[in-house]
Amino acid sequence: MAGKSGRTISATPEKTLKKALLSWEGMLFVLFIAVNIFCVCISPVYNLTNVLREMPKYLAEIFLLFPMAYILLMGEIDISVGSTVCLAATMACLASNAGLPFIGVILVSLIVGTICGMINGFLATAFRELPTMIITLGTQIVFRGIAEIALGDGGSISVTNTAGFSAIAKRVGPVPYVFFLVIICAVIFTVIAERRVFGRNLYAIGSNAKTAFYSGVKVNRMLFISYSVLGLLAGVSALFLTSATYAANTTTGKGFEMDAIAMAVFGGISTAGGKGKLVGGIISAFTITCLRVGLGQINMNPQVILIILGALLICAVLLPNISQSISDKKKKASRA
Amino acid sequence: MGENGAGKSTFIKVITGVHKAEEGEMYLFGEKVDFKGPKDAQQAGIAAVYQHPTSYPDLTVTENIFMNHEIKKRGIIQWKQMNEEAQGYLDELDADFKSTAEMGTLSVAQQQMVEIAKAISTHAKIIILDEPTAALTANESQKLYKIVDKLRDSGVSIIFISHRFEDMYRLAARVTVFRDSQYIGTYDVDGITNADLIKAMVGREINDLFPKPEVTPGEEMLRIEHFSRIGYYKDVNLHVKAGEIVGLTGLVGAGRTEVVESVCGITKQNEGKVFLQGREVTINNPTDAMKNGIILLPEDRQKTGLILSWGLGRNVTLPIVKKLSTNGFTNDKKERELSKKFLEDVDTKAVTIFDPASSLSGGNQQKVVVAKALAQDNMKVIIMDEPTKGVDVGAKAEIYAIMGELAQKGFAIIMISSEMPEILGMSDRIYVMCNGRVTGELSKDEASQEAILEFAMEKSSKKQKEGV
Repeated sequence: MAGKSGRTISATPEKTLKKALLSWEGMLFVLFIAVNIFCVCISPVYNLTNVLREMPKYLAEIFLLFPMAYILLMGEIDISVGSTVCLAATMACLASNAGLPFIGVILVSLIVGTICGMINGFLATAFRELPTMIITLGTQIVFRGIAEIALGDGGSISVTNTAGFSAIAKRVGPVPYVFFLVIICAVIFTVIAERRVFGRNLYAIGSNAKTAFYSGVKVNRMLFISYSVLGLLAGVSALFLTSATYAANTTTGKGFEMDAIAMAVFGGISTAGGKGKLVGGIISAFTITCLRVGLGQINMNPQVILIILGALLICAVLLPNISQSISDKKKKASRA
Repeated sequence: MGENGAGKSTFIKVITGVHKAEEGEMYLFGEKVDFKGPKDAQQAGIAAVYQHPTSYPDLTVTENIFMNHEIKKRGIIQWKQMNEEAQGYLDELDADFKSTAEMGTLSVAQQQMVEIAKAISTHAKIIILDEPTAALTANESQKLYKIVDKLRDSGVSIIFISHRFEDMYRLAARVTVFRDSQYIGTYDVDGITNADLIKAMVGREINDLFPKPEVTPGEEMLRIEHFSRIGYYKDVNLHVKAGEIVGLTGLVGAGRTEVVESVCGITKQNEGKVFLQGREVTINNPTDAMKNGIILLPEDRQKTGLILSWGLGRNVTLPIVKKLSTNGFTNDKKERELSKKFLEDVDTKAVTIFDPASSLSGGNQQKVVVAKALAQDNMKVIIMDEPTKGVDVGAKAEIYAIMGELAQKGFAIIMISSEMPEILGMSDRIYVMCNGRVTGELSKDEASQEAILEFAMEKSSKKQKEGV
């Protein structure tokens, strides 16, 4: 071939500790430590055992973060997942009260969740020209509507046989089962995103879906899989949520989709697709959870906690933009 | 008149103040003028109707006509008056739609009428029409001619840009030809022939920019039979042999890109078969095409060829990540080595394989696209869609050299191009398309710019002979 000029191109990757620390994920980790120090200072009962004890009610949401991060990385979104959780929880309660063995209850929850996810995945791929924001806004309303019909007039169903649900709410020492499951999911999803072909293609789709398609990436299949997996994990989330209250009601899972998106965005995953890392999302999820636990321990008004989290989120989104414009200015200055 | 890229449209944009001339002076009605922007030109009485109507599809015809010069009374827009006036202009043009119609619901011809009405509404003395007939049917063109006649009779000067001979003979008094961004000459339409015009438009010596090696074509690699996709192309047959470079040319919009996109599984043809080395293959998506060794280098590097925000290395290996992986895990080291090798092979001007693709010039971006194709080791047929579009001369020559080497190695190459010199210089055989059909096939010896143009503009030149 050509190569007449004999020009060589370097292929040695640069990896330094300084770079890692200065990355968004590095900064988040520092913030995570700072939040924990802050919580220890304000709350006398803030310690590892107590945090782990209070965590389960927040952990159920973190399941949704992982596949949501994939969908965001591809430049799409799913705002129906809270309703999926509600529908799956409702069906699980109904199945339990109908006398199904607990393994059957688990299956019902997972299958209902997966079907909801597959519906989203089908609509998102069959109508590529429609924004997924709108598609999932529609399914959000539909799924919750079905759940509310199933919940009946009282708007709530309590589980009569709590044996199965209380079993999955158990702990090893102070560590709840759900914690282990979240960590396992975190590792699997991170490894897939970082090290596997599927992960590389996620970023390709989010960066330029057309080029990805022209280069042989099966865009539709990947979208369908991701939406289905989000549905499946919504089913998992529904089981653990029910195990905390032994009931499903019309507010079950409300706002979960936004929490999951917020964790991802706070973790540096761009809603425009193609940018950000799973690790960032996971650190941000635990940072937010710790802050919630700590502020909850000093009996801070939950509404005030929401305001604080919202403000933090806006700062998180603004920061990269500001630092980008500063570095752009510096570049311009150095060129001139 | 002039070929694609001859500089007609750019020249118009200078006249209308969109771009600024670096040198030269412009005189309007005997006075020297210097437009700082489109608004100045508009006030001086110059209006342009561009090839692609630049309208607002969601607004009404009236709103489009009066965009930026609304009729206001104390800051309040006078809708009734505007609607009436707009309707007046439309009636003048014998339009068959109302001024309250939504722009997006109109046909291209109707939208053009609105643009012309807009030009009249600014009381323009000079109206420039940039390839208005390119997207029109024969009937619509006739209607447009009548409108132009009417405008001319009312004392408006008209500059009409086209590459259709028919338009010139029917409308123009004088014709000016551009070629390669240069003024070639101005001729009276009376007494000029087709041949004279073609010569003026394309007559250039082809120098040795094209290092085309002599290769004896081998076995047939790719053949497509009776390819049809409704609304895009119809009954297309073509084939390419090993070591052969086949040119596919025609005017923009003739359906060339659409045909090869179906061959590569981007879109699906309604009818037709693909044969690879004599065996029929089914291609439903780009992966199928790649598995069969049919590689497309898309026309639009930035939108479909590269991921601009990614490093060069990852761009090169994007189609082969899976092939290089072990049990689904990516092999970063192998990817880095391979991409480095192929990027160096095509002599990309870059410092590291991690440089973002967006940081390269057009020519070097194209080389990355070539490297990306070469990295696919099962490649048999290479389809290059406008491989040198927007590429400077130096990089062009390098890309031609690569094509020559690939042909020598026995790959079959299909090159889509609108550039005459490139088509004539590089192709062993040439297919010409017009309106979704292959209208001609020429061997290297038969090929000439005149012959290609005849086929490419078959419809209009035939009409000319019939004396429409």
